[in-house]
Amino acid sequence: MSTVALKPSLLHCRRENPKFRLNSKKAKSSSLNYTLKPFSNCRSFCNFKSSASLPIRASSSDTAVVETFESADVLFKETFPLKRIEKVEGKISIRLADGKDQENWKLTVGCNLPGKWVLHWGVNYVDDIGSEWDQPPLEMIPPGSIPIKDYAIETALKKSSATMEGDTFHKVEIDFNINSAIAAINFVLKDEETGSWYQHKGRDFKVPLTDYLHGDGNIVGAKKIWPGPLGQLSNMLLNSEGAHPKGKDRSSDSRDPNQQNRLIEGNCPETAKNLVRIETDLPGDVVLHWGVCKDDNKKWEIPAAPYPAETMLFKKKALRTPLQHKEGGNGSWGSFTVDKEFAGFLFVLKVNESMWLNSMGKDFYIPLSSSTGFHTESRHSQSEGQIKREFSEAEPGSALKSEENAEENQAVSQTAYTDGIISEIRNLVSGISSEKSQKTKSKEAQESILQEIEKLAAEAYSIFRSSVPTFSENAVLEPETLKPPAKITSGTGSGFEILCQGFNWESHKSGRWYMELHEKASELSSLGFTVVWLPPPTESVSPEGYMPKDLYNLNSRYGSIDELKVLVKRFHEVGIRVLGDTVLNHRCAHYKNQNGVWNIFGGRLNWDDRAVVADDPHFQGRGNKSSGDNFHAAPNIDHSQEFVRRDLKEWLCWLRKEIGYDGWRLDFVRGFWGGYVKDYLDATEPYFAVGEYWDSLSYTYGEMDHNQDAHRQRIIDWINATNGTAGAFDVTTKGILHAALERCEYWRLSDQKGKPPGVLGWWPSRAVTFIENHDTGSTQGHWRFPGGKEMQGNQYKIHCRSTVQITKAERDVYAAMIDEKVVMKIGPGYYEPPSGPQRWSLAVEGKDYKNNRTSYI
Amino acid sequence: MEVSVIGSSQAKLGRTDFACGDVGLCNNLSAKIFCRKSKICFDQRIRWPEASVRFTIKAAAPTEAVVSEKVSGGKTTSSRRSKRIDGVRLYVGLPMDAVSDCNTINHARAIASGLKALKLLGVDGVELPVWWGIAEKQSMGKYEWSGYLALAEMVQKLGLKLHVSLCFHASKDPKIQLPQWVSRIAESQPSLFFTDQSGQLYKECLSLAVDDLPVLDGKTPIQVYKEFCESFKSSFLSFMDSTITGISVGLGPDGELRYPSHHHPAKSNVPGVGEFQCYDKNLLSHLKRHAQAIGNPLWGLSGPHDAPNYDQFPNSNNFFKEHGGSWETAYGDFFLSWYSSHLISHGDRLLSLASSTFSDTPVTLAGKVPLMHSWYRTRSHASELTSGFYNTVNRDGYEGVAEMFGRNSCKMILPGMDLSDEHQSQEALSSPESLLAQITTACRKHGVEICGQNSSVAGVPRGFEQIKKNLLGENAVIDMFTYQRMGAYFFSPEHFSSFTEFVRNLNQPELHGDDVPKDEEEAAESLCSDPGKDLHMQAA
Repeated sequence: MSTVALKPSLLHCRRENPKFRLNSKKAKSSSLNYTLKPFSNCRSFCNFKSSASLPIRASSSDTAVVETFESADVLFKETFPLKRIEKVEGKISIRLADGKDQENWKLTVGCNLPGKWVLHWGVNYVDDIGSEWDQPPLEMIPPGSIPIKDYAIETALKKSSATMEGDTFHKVEIDFNINSAIAAINFVLKDEETGSWYQHKGRDFKVPLTDYLHGDGNIVGAKKIWPGPLGQLSNMLLNSEGAHPKGKDRSSDSRDPNQQNRLIEGNCPETAKNLVRIETDLPGDVVLHWGVCKDDNKKWEIPAAPYPAETMLFKKKALRTPLQHKEGGNGSWGSFTVDKEFAGFLFVLKVNESMWLNSMGKDFYIPLSSSTGFHTESRHSQSEGQIKREFSEAEPGSALKSEENAEENQAVSQTAYTDGIISEIRNLVSGISSEKSQKTKSKEAQESILQEIEKLAAEAYSIFRSSVPTFSENAVLEPETLKPPAKITSGTGSGFEILCQGFNWESHKSGRWYMELHEKASELSSLGFTVVWLPPPTESVSPEGYMPKDLYNLNSRYGSIDELKVLVKRFHEVGIRVLGDTVLNHRCAHYKNQNGVWNIFGGRLNWDDRAVVADDPHFQGRGNKSSGDNFHAAPNIDHSQEFVRRDLKEWLCWLRKEIGYDGWRLDFVRGFWGGYVKDYLDATEPYFAVGEYWDSLSYTYGEMDHNQDAHRQRIIDWINATNGTAGAFDVTTKGILHAALERCEYWRLSDQKGKPPGVLGWWPSRAVTFIENHDTGSTQGHWRFPGGKEMQGNQYKIHCRSTVQITKAERDVYAAMIDEKVVMKIGPGYYEPPSGPQRWSLAVEGKDYKNNRTSYI
Repeated sequence: MEVSVIGSSQAKLGRTDFACGDVGLCNNLSAKIFCRKSKICFDQRIRWPEASVRFTIKAAAPTEAVVSEKVSGGKTTSSRRSKRIDGVRLYVGLPMDAVSDCNTINHARAIASGLKALKLLGVDGVELPVWWGIAEKQSMGKYEWSGYLALAEMVQKLGLKLHVSLCFHASKDPKIQLPQWVSRIAESQPSLFFTDQSGQLYKECLSLAVDDLPVLDGKTPIQVYKEFCESFKSSFLSFMDSTITGISVGLGPDGELRYPSHHHPAKSNVPGVGEFQCYDKNLLSHLKRHAQAIGNPLWGLSGPHDAPNYDQFPNSNNFFKEHGGSWETAYGDFFLSWYSSHLISHGDRLLSLASSTFSDTPVTLAGKVPLMHSWYRTRSHASELTSGFYNTVNRDGYEGVAEMFGRNSCKMILPGMDLSDEHQSQEALSSPESLLAQITTACRKHGVEICGQNSSVAGVPRGFEQIKKNLLGENAVIDMFTYQRMGAYFFSPEHFSSFTEFVRNLNQPELHGDDVPKDEEEAAESLCSDPGKDLHMQAA
C-alpha cells in the first residue's frame, strides 16, 4: 500500500486571467483540476507535477466567489515507490455547484484514472477547532456509503456516463445544504484495487465552504487585492535596532505596489529580555500563532506571561495573538517580550480559518540568543534575499495542523526537513559573506555546515551499516514449517509447532531411511523442531510411498514396521511429535476385475469396486461420485461408503496405537470432502493434523493475480469442512511468496485489507506455512522456491497467532510488525522500524532480510 | 487569495538583486556556494578575507546564479567546470549495488543523505557502476534502466556530476552476476570463460578470446556490448550534457584491462605470481596458429609448462626465475608478446567501440588499467606478465597500452593511488609507486590523461596522505580522482572524518590558488595535514 502524496504547484494561469474571478457572479461552476502524473514504469522514481488551478467559485444571491489557494512550489520532485506498472496520468476534478436550489448545493468529485476509486471523506463544522474530521450529517451521505468509525465516510465513485477526453470518468456527487454549518469538506481518494491513496501534498484535499457561503463581501473584496502569499512574503526583512536605525522601507522593494513588507525586529536591550517586533503588510486580521523554544530542536513551548493583549492559549501548545492594525495603512504589527533563556521565537501566521502562512512548510524561526545573534543583527540585504527564498514555499496548510495530522507523508516531511537545512545553511553562508563581524560568523557557519555534514553522514552510516549482509547458511534439512497457534484442540496442536518434513523424494533410495533418521533425531530436536513428518509408511507401488496398496503392511522402502516403531519412540524421547503421512484419497488395487481393470483390493482391507468412486472411467468404480477432485493414477476411494470409512478409521487408530503416531499429514485432500476428514480426525484424536490442499493459484494472462482470495477460500473451505479440526498447508502463501521474491514484487505480500494474502491472513491458526516439500522442491522440483531466497521465505513465516501489522508492502520491500514485538522486513528495499517507546535491536539479518526485536525502555 | 507563481517570484528576486548592488553580490555568493565545490571551507585556519574577495570576483552573472540554484544547480556548473583546468575533480564511488537486481535503488535514503553530505563537503561528483547483469538481465536486448535513471536523477537534483562505469563483468561481493541469459549460454560453452592451466574457469567475465566470435545467440560479445552502450546512450541522453561527465567501459575482470591471473583466493598475505589464463579452446588454437605462422609449431602446443602456480613466488619454478628464467628466452618473448598483444587488442576493440558510440556526446571516455605492483622489483615482473602486461626489466609494457588509450582518446583510470612502497610487504618485492610512475610516464608521452582511484574499500595505512601526494605533488598529472567507495565503512565515524579532512586539504590550495603565493599555500597545507590524527583514524 503506498501513500501517494501530491504536491501541486500552482501555475500561472490564475494570475493571467484575474477577470475570470471578478466576473464570476453568474458562473455556475468551475473546477479544480489536479493532474496526477505518476510515472512508474517499474521505476521507483517519479515526478509529480501537479498543477492546481484555483478553485471554486459559487454563486449565491448576494455574495459570491471565492478562491482557495494552493501553495506554490518549485517543480516538486520526490521519490515514490509505486507499484503500478503502467504510466498513469489523470485528473481529479472537484466541482462545487448549486444543485436544485440555492440552499442545496452539490459537490462533485471526479477522477478519470482507471481504478476502483473510493472517496474517503469527512467534514469540518463551523466552530470546529483543529482539523479533525467529523461525520457529515445524514442527509449528506450518498446511498451505498460506508461509515468509517466516527469521522469519515467512504463512498465509491461511480462510472459516469459522461466521459472526459475519451476516458471513463468516475465521479461521486454529494449533496449538501448550505445551512448545515459545514465549514469544509475534506477528502482523499483511495484506489481500492491498488490500495493507493491520493492525497494532496500528504494531506487531505479540503474544500472550504464557509468562506463562500458565509463570508461577506468585504472580505472577498479585500482578498481580491491580494497578490498572493508569495508576493506578500517575498520581502521579509530582518531588522535590528542595535545595528541600524529602525526602518522598514526598502527602496528596492517599493517598486511593486502590491508587495508588502514585513519587518521583524529583534531588540536586545540590557535587560534579560528580548523584544520581538513583528510587522506585516498583510491586510485584514492576522493572528500570530506563536511560541518559543529553548534550543535548536525548535520544540514549541509557551513562555511565561505577560503576553500582549488578547492573547489566547491554544491547546497548551502555542499562543495566539491578533496583530494590531497599523495606523492608517495596510498591515498590522505586534511586539512580544521573550525571556533571554529562550533561544528562539517560533511562529506561523494565521490569516483566516483556512489559511496559514509558514516558512517552507516549517515554522518561522527567529533566533534570539546572542550566540546566534547575527540573524537579528544583520540588517544586510542578503538576508533579505535569503528570507525571500525561504518563503517561496509558503504553505497554506499549517505546520501546526500537521501535528494533528498523523498521516503526514514521510517523504514530504523529509524533503521539507532537508530543504530547511539547506536554507539554514544558506542563511549561515550569507552570514559569512557579510562584511560585519566576519570572523565569528564564518566560524559559526563552518561549524554548522560541518555539523550538518556529520549528521547526514551519520544517517547514511546507520542505514548502510544496518543493511550489510551477514548471511549465514542455515543447516535445515528440509522445509521447516511454522505452525500456527490455537487452543489445544484436537488436530491443531499448540500453535507453536515447527514441523520438519523428515524425508525427501529420494529418501527411499537408502533403503534404511528410518535408521538414518533415527541418528538425526536429537539433532532435529536441537534445531528447534517440535514435529516431524515421516514418509508414508505403507506398502506402495511407487517407492516413495504415495501409491499405497495394502494399508496394514508397513514394510516400505524406508524400512520395516519395527524400525518405524523404534524411530517413533526415539522421536518421542527427544521431544518431537511424529506425523504419519496417510494417503486416504486413493489406493492401488491388488486384482483386476472382470474387465481387466485394477479395482479389486486385497490384504486385510479387501474391498471391492464399490470402494472406488464412480466418476473416474479408468477404474470403473461402483461407488458414488467423488466428493472432490480425482487423482488419476490410481483408484480413488469412495469415502461416502460406510464400510470404507469404518475401515479407514480402524486403520488410523491402529496406526496411532501400534506405531505411536501423534498426528497426520493427509495427502491430496482435494480428492474428498473435508467432512470425512473430520470424521477420521474425531475418531483418531490426533495431536496435530495438516492437509495437503494443493491446486493452482489464479493467473491472468500469465501474470499472477494479486488477489488470491479464491484460492485461499478453497483451502479455508476445506478446513471449514473439517470443522477446523485440521490445518492445511498454506499453498497460497507459498505461491505468492514465489512471485514476490522471484520478481521483486513485495507488494503482493499484503492483501487488499492490508493483511497477509494467504490462508495466513484469514485463518492463521490453521495455516501451515511452508517453503518447500517433497513435491515442490527436492528432486521433483514441480514448483521450486526461488533459489537463494529461502531465508527471506523463512523470515516471512510469521508466527501467526500473533497480530500481524503490515507496515509496508511495496515493490521492493515488505515489512511487518508482529505482536508489536518483532519487526521484520524482506526485500532489497529499505525499511526501518518506527521509533517510539520500543527500542529495536537487530536479531537476525541476511541478504535481503532483517528481523528486529524490541525491548521496551 | 491567490498564490503567486514561482517563476514570477524568481524574476522578482532577480530584479531586486539588480536594484541593489550589494544584494546582488551577496545573493549570488550564496548561490554559488551551492553550485560550486569547495567554496565552503571548514578549516578555521583559513583566512576568509581572501576567500571572500575571490567570491566577489567570480560573482559575475547574478541572475544566472540565482536561477541555477533554484532550478537545478547543475547547468551553470558544468560549463564552468569544463573550463577549469587547474585542480583535481573529486568523485566518490556509489555503492556497487546501488541499484538492486530488481532495478530499485538500494538504501535510497542512505544514498540521498550521503549525496547531500558529499555535496556540502564540496565533492564534485559520484561514480556509478552500471551492471550488464542488472540492466540487461533477462534477455538479450531487453534493457531496464529505470533504477539507474532514478539514481542519475537523484544525483542531478543535487547538482553533482556523474561518472558512469559500464560493468561487463560480475562481482562476488556484493553478488552481481552476469546477465542470466549469458550464464545460460555459457553453461554449455565453457570456452566463453578464461581458463587456467588446470582447467579452472573464471566465470566473472567473458574471455577476451570470444570478443569477435558469434557465441551469444549469433552475436559477438562486442556487438552485444555495443548495443548495450547504444541503449545506455539513448536512455541517458538527457543527462549527457550536464550530469554525466564521463563514462568508463569495462575491459575485463573487475572492469580492468587484464587477464584474471590472480582470481584464486590468496592463501597468504603475499600475493603469488598468478597464472596465465590462456587455456580456453579459442586462445589455445590461436596460440597454435600463431606458433605455426612464425615457424615454430612446437611453441604453440600449450602455455608455458614451467610457470608457477597462483600462490607461488617467481623463483619457485623456472619461468620467472630472476636470472635465466624462461621469460628471457626466445620462447618466453614469443609467448609473452602474444599473450600481451591479445590483451591490448581486446582493450582497443572495446575502447574504439565506446568512442564510436559516444563520439557525438560531450562525455569523456575512460578505461581502467590495473596496478599489478607485486614483484615489480624483480627483473621479470611476474605478476604483470601473468596479467597480460609484458613489462620486464628489458621492456616497457605500458607504452603499447598508453598508445592504445591515446589512439582512442580515452583517459586511463589508475587505481592504487593510496599505496605507498613502505607499507607494502617486503617479501613481495612490490613497488606501487614506481609502477605508477612508469605508467604515468607512458601516459604523458602519449597524451593520455589519468584519473586516479584508490585501491580498495578498506583503509590503507596513510592512504590519504599518499593520495594527496599523488594528486598535488609537483609531477601530478591527475585531473580527476574517484574515491572508492560509499558504504557503511565510508560513512563510519572513524573513516568519514578522515575523509572530510582529506577533502578539505585537497580543496584548500585551490581556494587560495588565485590569491596566495605558492609558498604560503604549501605552508597552509602542511598546517592542515595532521599526521598524528590520520594515524589515529587508521588505527581505529
